[in-house]
Amino acid sequence: MRWDRLARELKVTWAIATKDMKIYYLRTPSLMFGILFPFSMFLSFVIGRNMPISQAIPILVAQTVFFAASTIGPVSIPMERRLQTFDRFLSAPVSLLTVLLGKTIAGFIYGVGISLIPIAMGLSFFDSQVTDLSALAIGMALSAFGFAAMGIMFASLPGQGPGEVMMPLNFVRIPLLFVSGVYVPVKELPSWGQIASAASPLTHTIELIRLGLGGDSFFGLGFNVIILTFYVIVFLLAGMRFHILNQKRE
Amino acid sequence: MNDAIVLQGLTKYYGSLLAVDHASLNIEEGEVFGFLGPNGAGKTTTIRMLVGLTTPSEGTASVAGYDIKKNLVEVKRRVGVVPETSNLYDELSVWDNLLFSSCLYHVPRNERADRIRGLLETFNLKERQSTKFGKLSKGLKRRVVIAAALVHRPRIVFMDEPTSGLDVVSALSLRRLVRELRREDTTVFLTTHYIEEADQLSDRVAIIVEGKIVVVDTPENIKQSFRGVPILEACLSQVPDESMMHEMEPVGIVEFKGNRVRFEAENLTEALESLIRLASQRGIQVTDVNTLQPSLEEAFVGLTGVSPESMKIEKERRR
Repeated sequence: MRWDRLARELKVTWAIATKDMKIYYLRTPSLMFGILFPFSMFLSFVIGRNMPISQAIPILVAQTVFFAASTIGPVSIPMERRLQTFDRFLSAPVSLLTVLLGKTIAGFIYGVGISLIPIAMGLSFFDSQVTDLSALAIGMALSAFGFAAMGIMFASLPGQGPGEVMMPLNFVRIPLLFVSGVYVPVKELPSWGQIASAASPLTHTIELIRLGLGGDSFFGLGFNVIILTFYVIVFLLAGMRFHILNQKRE
Repeated sequence: MNDAIVLQGLTKYYGSLLAVDHASLNIEEGEVFGFLGPNGAGKTTTIRMLVGLTTPSEGTASVAGYDIKKNLVEVKRRVGVVPETSNLYDELSVWDNLLFSSCLYHVPRNERADRIRGLLETFNLKERQSTKFGKLSKGLKRRVVIAAALVHRPRIVFMDEPTSGLDVVSALSLRRLVRELRREDTTVFLTTHYIEEADQLSDRVAIIVEGKIVVVDTPENIKQSFRGVPILEACLSQVPDESMMHEMEPVGIVEFKGNRVRFEAENLTEALESLIRLASQRGIQVTDVNTLQPSLEEAFVGLTGVSPESMKIEKERRR
């Protein structure tokens, strides 16, 4: 009985994810905040510097998975609330966790899919090499899932449009770029910066991606995985909690 | 007959605003129940509580035998919801929207296509199954939304202002559908601000004003209880003189408009005999006689103090 119910909920999760993929992937806010943003920031960082491709590609991949995965939730949920399609989920016999998981998976697939592009470019046209596939795969998967859940968490903020959710989300996303070893390697940060960096999920994303593409990790693979897993759980649980609180306010 | 929906002191506060004030009523299986009231009366809030979109502040209710607080998932499995807004996905086709709804309601995979085809046939949407929902007219959108609410064959359907904003033909078509649902013993709980719609469709009506249910009864009983004295209207072959009006007065309250005479009388037989006698004395023939019941509109205005015209204007303004 329980397995039947779990199977039913998973099918609904997947249906929600595929529906979101069809509707929200090519929306302007998704393209703008999920793709244009990270690529523009990357280009503004690397243009004019003599940065080797082996250093640049991990930065671009990390930024892309960070922004792309965390964008779909804040686009889809406020739009659905405004158009009242979110009420369909709430009046259907499916749990809120099922709904939020479905939306998280949509963000996850977007994050992984878009960030495969710079990896493919690096492997095809430049001298990038995948030296540790498991580190790269785990890093991308945990990061995409965690950041997608982060986006869902922020989407619980009251607001009728993606812009109203994107603003506070970007207040968090952009500063994180500067304390996460993206632009300045962790080993070159002051000690307080290294402590802050250890607490940032994005640090561990870029470290795992660097490990996967021939670089190294300041904190070590084990610590990277533990912290990212911790954030996946925290963002998922917090997102559920905030959405339930929102519901109770209705 | 079992009760499909039971409300017991159901209450909703939004801050200090009392939106639904201790509503209690029972709705039988297979009944079409009209929830009539002006805008802001609490109709939509009541539906939202019953289908789990909003948590009640006090009181409880059961739908299909399940408590809305303890077994909400079981309630949701057994009801269909037609909200006031046509809230399906503009970017998906009619077929894809219905398919998505069937998935949300756990319709077995091997039955989905057949059920959707059946609904497309019933609602004359077969030609439009590949059209994106956003490209449809208002009337067609409402049909798709109702089809989506029926894809899992619920025994209870909640309809919030189903004909609001529709043209006459679409509204008539939807009302025919509600009658069809009644024939299939589906319980329909519908909110409306169209008094005529409540009168024509509902087995019973509840009138709600400022969150409080003021009356629950059949439309006929509501009309009768509002004005107990029947009204007779007769058409004469010519305009009668004033003396005839004075001689009619002992019979009841009389009103003459040209060659039409309308009177309220406790004893209709005596009143009609008096009219025929007085008319024939003057060589006047009675060409038509009608018994006028008080309308539900009159009863509604009397009970709520709100006119149907002002309800329509307010609805248009909010749209």
